[in-house]
Amino acid sequence: MSKSVIQMEVNGRSVSLEVEPDEMLVDVLRERMGLTGTKVGCREGECGVCSVILNGKLVPSCLIPAMKADGGKILTVEGLEKDGELHPLQKEFLNKAAIQCGFCTPGMLLSAKALLDENPEPTLNEIKIGISGVLCRCTGYRKIIQAIESAAKSVRS
Amino acid sequence: MKGEKRKVILKEKKVEIPLAKEELEVVGKQVIRKDGYEKVTGRLKFGADFDKAGFLHGKVLRSPHAHALIKKVDVEKAKALPGVVAILTAEDVPGRNGFGAIIPDQPVICGEKVRFIGDGVALVAAESEEAAIEALKLIDVEYEPLSAVFSPVEAMKPGAPKVHENGNLLTTVRIRKGDTEKGFQEAEVIVEQTYSLPFVEHAYMEPDVAMAIPHEDGTITVKGPMQAPFTVRRNIAPVLHIPISKVQCVQTHLGGGFGGKEDSSIDIGVRAALLAWKTKRPVRMEYEREEVTLSTAKRHPMIIQCKVGAKRDGTLTALEGTIYNEQGAYASLGPIIPPAGGTHAHAVIMLPGPYVIPHVKVDGYLVYTNHPYGGAMRGFGAPQVNFVHESIIDELAEALQMNPYDLRMKNCFELGSVTATGQVLDQSIALKETMRSAADQFEWFKRWRPPPSKEEVEKVEKRRGVGMAIGWYRTSIGTFSDGCGANVYVHEDGSVILHTGITEMGQGSHTVLAQIAAEELGVRIEDVRIVVPDTDIVPEAGPTVGSRSTTLMGNAIIMASQAVKASILEAASEILGVPAERLVARNRLIFDRDDQTRGVEFKEAARRALATGKRMMGQGWWAPPRPSFDVETGQGYPYFVYTYNTQMAEVEVDTKTGHVEVIKVVACFDIGRAINPILVEGQIEGGIMMGLGYAMMEEVLLKEGKVQNLNFQDYMIPTAMDAPEIVPMILEDPNRYGPFGAKGIGEMPNIPTAPAIINAVANAVGVRIRDLPAHSEKVFHAMRGRRG
Ligand code: FES
Ligand code: FES
Repeated sequence: MSKSVIQMEVNGRSVSLEVEPDEMLVDVLRERMGLTGTKVGCREGECGVCSVILNGKLVPSCLIPAMKADGGKILTVEGLEKDGELHPLQKEFLNKAAIQCGFCTPGMLLSAKALLDENPEPTLNEIKIGISGVLCRCTGYRKIIQAIESAAKSVRS
Repeated sequence: MKGEKRKVILKEKKVEIPLAKEELEVVGKQVIRKDGYEKVTGRLKFGADFDKAGFLHGKVLRSPHAHALIKKVDVEKAKALPGVVAILTAEDVPGRNGFGAIIPDQPVICGEKVRFIGDGVALVAAESEEAAIEALKLIDVEYEPLSAVFSPVEAMKPGAPKVHENGNLLTTVRIRKGDTEKGFQEAEVIVEQTYSLPFVEHAYMEPDVAMAIPHEDGTITVKGPMQAPFTVRRNIAPVLHIPISKVQCVQTHLGGGFGGKEDSSIDIGVRAALLAWKTKRPVRMEYEREEVTLSTAKRHPMIIQCKVGAKRDGTLTALEGTIYNEQGAYASLGPIIPPAGGTHAHAVIMLPGPYVIPHVKVDGYLVYTNHPYGGAMRGFGAPQVNFVHESIIDELAEALQMNPYDLRMKNCFELGSVTATGQVLDQSIALKETMRSAADQFEWFKRWRPPPSKEEVEKVEKRRGVGMAIGWYRTSIGTFSDGCGANVYVHEDGSVILHTGITEMGQGSHTVLAQIAAEELGVRIEDVRIVVPDTDIVPEAGPTVGSRSTTLMGNAIIMASQAVKASILEAASEILGVPAERLVARNRLIFDRDDQTRGVEFKEAARRALATGKRMMGQGWWAPPRPSFDVETGQGYPYFVYTYNTQMAEVEVDTKTGHVEVIKVVACFDIGRAINPILVEGQIEGGIMMGLGYAMMEEVLLKEGKVQNLNFQDYMIPTAMDAPEIVPMILEDPNRYGPFGAKGIGEMPNIPTAPAIINAVANAVGVRIRDLPAHSEKVFHAMRGRRG
């Protein structure tokens, strides 16, 4: 296989790039587009810190060949803030101290967003399942869960 | 009124009780963390996020042998590969070929032999990552395998393979208090058991990275997620054979550290620096997850024999323990830093637990093997020994047919208690209060029942049980060199810069330290900016470890703030015509405490202070009261103050599969003073979750010296699905040596969780797990094997 040109919409901006067949989405985002908010923790789809939303679904961008994202719509952490206004999830992560080192935070925020987009009133257990693909070694998850609960409320009201 | 009655907290001076909470403006408040905005927006740059342009890519060739002589290293083919700029072997190290947090016994590049699978044998720098990886494959190393040793007990036997020339026994630490023979004679019940603890990985989410940039003037800059930049600098200089003053270490925000990045940042930092130095080009190195797990430090595994004796009424009479502490291939943070620093001494000191025991004898052996090495990991030797004393106390309670709470309450520390090392605990000790508060919250006495019989267990599919554990943890590291400095600069607009070498790892220290500065100066938290720790700029701070940051650095910051505040108050005094002693600064205002209508803005006073040539900076330096400890007798005052904790856990055990679910953990802490309560809670919750992983699932699996579970697919850490209900509780018995009464919190929460859970499992199904982790299979087999 050889290089090919792909088109994507990333955080509302359309881009077209030439990519290698073995180039992963995470590297295109980080290295080619400078979107370093998306992190790398394992490169094998286990830690979830590289999670982005592709066509409405949460995916580990370390496992997605960039070619597969051709024509796709992508949301990364950089796209959560709108016109200088933080997304309710970002606000609640701050208020509830759901961040420590912050390395999982982008992946966590996006997994929470994917969850709330699909299920605006998740139960505690649904939240746990929803974010279980992203590992956090710092927080113990409790404050992250609380932040998602209150963001869900503020999105609804 | 504030500012009037408190003096600088100095050990020589008479100290006064810290201010009451109500009098504080910034301290004790749930301030939003200073780095929060950058973190939620993805703007914050971690080490791997910096531009790679212009950097060579560095890689390490790692030994596939656990123990082998290096006969020959042929680099010619690799050198010829296009894109390869340098291949370094042991002869290329200009200075000391060794690094280490305490003893430099780990070769930067192994020359004569390798001591574990993952040891570095050659370094590569290439224009591209691909070329660097390709070059590794082309380096030809001829090894002569030696027999290896993989257990500390085996390694201590005569004739065992020698990992290092001077033998495998690295350090021995003992405690001798009273006469244990007599103590056991006085005992009416004696329990004796052996426990074992596995290697555990820190599993910080951010893999290690380092960037080294050599400069024309013979200096070098190294950047990366360093938990202790000064320790990294101290290691790079002798390796490059240049003075410390020519090495600049700049910290990037850590994506988690937990003790691990104290060691790993030396490892990667020294190697990146060496490559940059030799190639005269900037070099970037990144360890992938597998490489981090393979080659960097872990929590020490230990095998611990323990024996306790008590009277019928539960009064403890004696404790004996022997610790076989596996150091692995290199010394890392294991050995003694005088008098009581290092993981091993700490483990020995903590083994008798927070209990008054008249007769104590502990022998602790720290032993080299051909495994990866043990280093600092949250709790620094304490999680291992806490698991032992809190398990055996429960076993003793069972033998005495006592409620384990009552047994603990009868024997645990209170004001005036004397520890096994002979230290009198004369202040800030609310351990019993943490037990009472936790018990109330948890409803311990309603929920605790003696463990069930085998028949009872078999009757139901799921059984619940409750367990508890208590613990203590030092603030400070017990070394003579435990000092730290801070500089505070006030500018003419009232804004403030704080220089501190304490690193932000996520724990929130930069927020807490800014709160302390703001409180002391009388400004707002947003007025204080902390610059990134840079060894060229900030004063020596020691490492960010030992739960020491808030307390030790907090004191240094208070002293620095007071020094510069004197200028500002003097200027305000000139403006207001009120004597400086009568002035109070808070919330950006300076006013007369006797007539609060007379005041001036902080920035106005700052402007005048600069304009009239007053000193616009303050410096502070603080070290804890001098520690003492004798490694032969274990007597002394190793650490100046301790945090205390009670944890209670409820579990549900599936009697058909052995699966354990942790339902709830109540955890109550005496931390002196919570500078930022919500961040304290964060430490509590995260620590408990790490303790839950230690109890239930975490273990670095080794086969013939090789790590089997290198990535998260096989090395399990808790996910949100494992998260129990956690109730964090904070008590404040002020520490007279702490800023506003504070003491440390970072490590304590991680410590009693595992025994509390394991005690709950025993309480639920009547079987006791003495070797962690207690995964389903182990619990299942224990239930099967149970007699009666
Ligand atoms: S980096 Fe993609 S899942 Fe870990
Ligand atoms: S905040 Fe550090 S990994 Fe989640």
